Amino acid sequence: MKRIQQMIEKEFRQIFRDRPMMGIIFIVPLVQLLVLAFAITTDVKHIKMSVVDFDKSRISREIVSAFSQTERFDIIDFTQDFKKIDNDMRAWNTQIALVIPANFGRDLQRGAQPQIHISVDGVDGNTAGIALGYAQAILLKYGVENKIQIPIQVERRPVHRVNLVERMWYNLELDSQQFMVPGIVVVLLTIIPMMLSAMSLVKEKEIGTLEQLMVTPLRKHQLLLGKIIPFLILSYLEMALVMTVAILVFNISMNGSYLLLAFLSFLYLIATIGLGIFISTFTHTQQQAMFVAWFFMVFMIIMSGFFIPIDNMPHSLQVFTYVNPMRYFMAIIRDIFQKGSGIFYLAKDTALMTFYGIIIITLAVFKFRKRVS
Amino acid sequence: MHKGKPLILSIAAKEVLHILKDPRSLIILFLMPILQLVMFGYALKMEIQEIKIGVIDYSQSPVSRQLIDCFRGSEFFTLFSFEGEEDAINDLFMQRQAHAVMIIPMNFAGDLSREPLVDVQFIIDAADPNAGTIIRNYINQVILTFNESHQDLLPIPFDIRGTLLYNPDRKSTYFFVPGIVALLLVMISALLTSITITREKETGTMEQILVSPVKPHEIIIGKVLPYIILAFLIGIIILLIGIVLFQVPFEGSALLLLILSTLYIITALSLGLMISTVAPTQQVAMMLALVATLLPTFLLSGFIFPISSMPPLLQYLTYLIPAKYYLFIIRGIILKGSTFMQLFFPTLFLGIMSAVLLVASIRKFSTNLES
Repeated sequence: MKRIQQMIEKEFRQIFRDRPMMGIIFIVPLVQLLVLAFAITTDVKHIKMSVVDFDKSRISREIVSAFSQTERFDIIDFTQDFKKIDNDMRAWNTQIALVIPANFGRDLQRGAQPQIHISVDGVDGNTAGIALGYAQAILLKYGVENKIQIPIQVERRPVHRVNLVERMWYNLELDSQQFMVPGIVVVLLTIIPMMLSAMSLVKEKEIGTLEQLMVTPLRKHQLLLGKIIPFLILSYLEMALVMTVAILVFNISMNGSYLLLAFLSFLYLIATIGLGIFISTFTHTQQQAMFVAWFFMVFMIIMSGFFIPIDNMPHSLQVFTYVNPMRYFMAIIRDIFQKGSGIFYLAKDTALMTFYGIIIITLAVFKFRKRVS
Repeated sequence: MHKGKPLILSIAAKEVLHILKDPRSLIILFLMPILQLVMFGYALKMEIQEIKIGVIDYSQSPVSRQLIDCFRGSEFFTLFSFEGEEDAINDLFMQRQAHAVMIIPMNFAGDLSREPLVDVQFIIDAADPNAGTIIRNYINQVILTFNESHQDLLPIPFDIRGTLLYNPDRKSTYFFVPGIVALLLVMISALLTSITITREKETGTMEQILVSPVKPHEIIIGKVLPYIILAFLIGIIILLIGIVLFQVPFEGSALLLLILSTLYIITALSLGLMISTVAPTQQVAMMLALVATLLPTFLLSGFIFPISSMPPLLQYLTYLIPAKYYLFIIRGIILKGSTFMQLFFPTLFLGIMSAVLLVASIRKFSTNLES
């Protein structure tokens, strides 16, 4: 026990001596959180629009002004030239084109059911769909509001329709930050502990101090524990700090138990640091360790449901998410914050995450022993 | 002066030796991005596969069953009947067994023949507001179909024709695969060069270079050259696999894409180099390279979240993200067939960025040497 303690003291001294590293550990995540969290918005606003108005009637002008009045659309260009629109679209200068054909206003008043065209850049299919929806809604609203002035040729029949009444639970205002900020915290607090631990043993190997540690009476598992515990303490403090800032700055509403969150965060850190140490046991240089850690990290982020729900993935790929500790914690942290889920609902995720941590640390110890002997 | 070129080449040769000395890293370098691209290309999908809806049908009438069948007929929904109060719905959501709950009121059938509007309530798990919105839209679509099958919609005096250009089926794969390529390229390149100079600082070989007659810019250029080739090879492989495997329609010029991809790679390598001259140790260098590329590329480049929706201040910050420009370039060339002139500005910005980064690294590097 004393030996581990000494090893831990040595590690801490080493870490604290490295000032730039301390900066990276404590300041970088905070800065990134404060900047990046504002980037997240699923709201679609300020869509750049080109207008082709061949009609130039009162009605066409009214339609155009209906578009210019919302912050959804920014009209950047009026033109009669389709070539120019095509060019602008390919040069990313415009995203949507509204085309009002000649005689639109006259045909409308005659009840001739004229057409109006909207072309959207569909590369970002999600945004395109939303933009098209907004455009249609504006046109429909105009059509409904102005139908009095238009002779109606259809005889009026009573209408009976189903009305969709939606209730958005857990996030009434559809505020993306409530969902994404805890996610960013998880990502930030995976990157740093994992990189640190992945490179820790390799660094000692590279500069030759591992041999020195080997000839001390420290046992192998004591050595590994001596590496893991300081990282665990440090990452835990870091997590507490970043999480507190996140909650305060972004007004993240907490519906669950802080105690449960603190406990499960600890279990998660064991799994990630274990993974880092495991990487450290089978790589030879810091460069290798970094590339492997990077690979795991990108894999973990993308396959965690951070921004793309796991449900959307093909079933054959969903299987891979089970070897991803971040998958469990991402679900856990969001459920605790937003739904206020208790341990009963999170038992499965917690069990798998803990199991993962135990296995990976056992593997690391085993691999390390074999390697040394 | 005429000796400049061979010196650069010998420094490059030394770096090549260093790369080849570590075949493990080399294998990792080629295999990982391929593996990631293939996996993420299939995994990243905006399209929701299966929306699970619990149905509480108080009406139990032919019309209510007709509405339910309307949902059953759509490939997106899985329905199960559900009995319980609001507490039980909460339970259902917490166990993640349903995305939404549909409540059909008792007098649904009667009201539908009398009233103009009959409410059907949907309780949607909107913890993920984006998913919640998408689910709502899918539901709305079915309701519209149901209404249309019952009667004509409100008469609108004109027709709206919406066209989706370049990606008419709105396939998110077409959108994401170029994004993954951009992410992988910038990260690999920046990580590669981030440790080149710090490594020499750490192992003490920098002093040896100091006493040699090599000029700072020769060292820097010599060191970057092999990585340009390496990253270029990786880039070609990823691009080919991305386009062929995911059957992304290729509209533009392959040559233009290759040239501009090289420019992007050079920008990312220069970024890594800049980090390398600043960082005192390999560990710090790698961390910086990772932190500077991973999340900013994910979140600020337009990879997923549209830049135009961000707060104005943050939009200015995105000008510093190389992947932002490359996304214009790669998505433009592949999906829209954009020409060089149409991509002039992103290209210009990338060019300026790599020039600034390179010059800054050489400057910083020379002052390092002098001190």
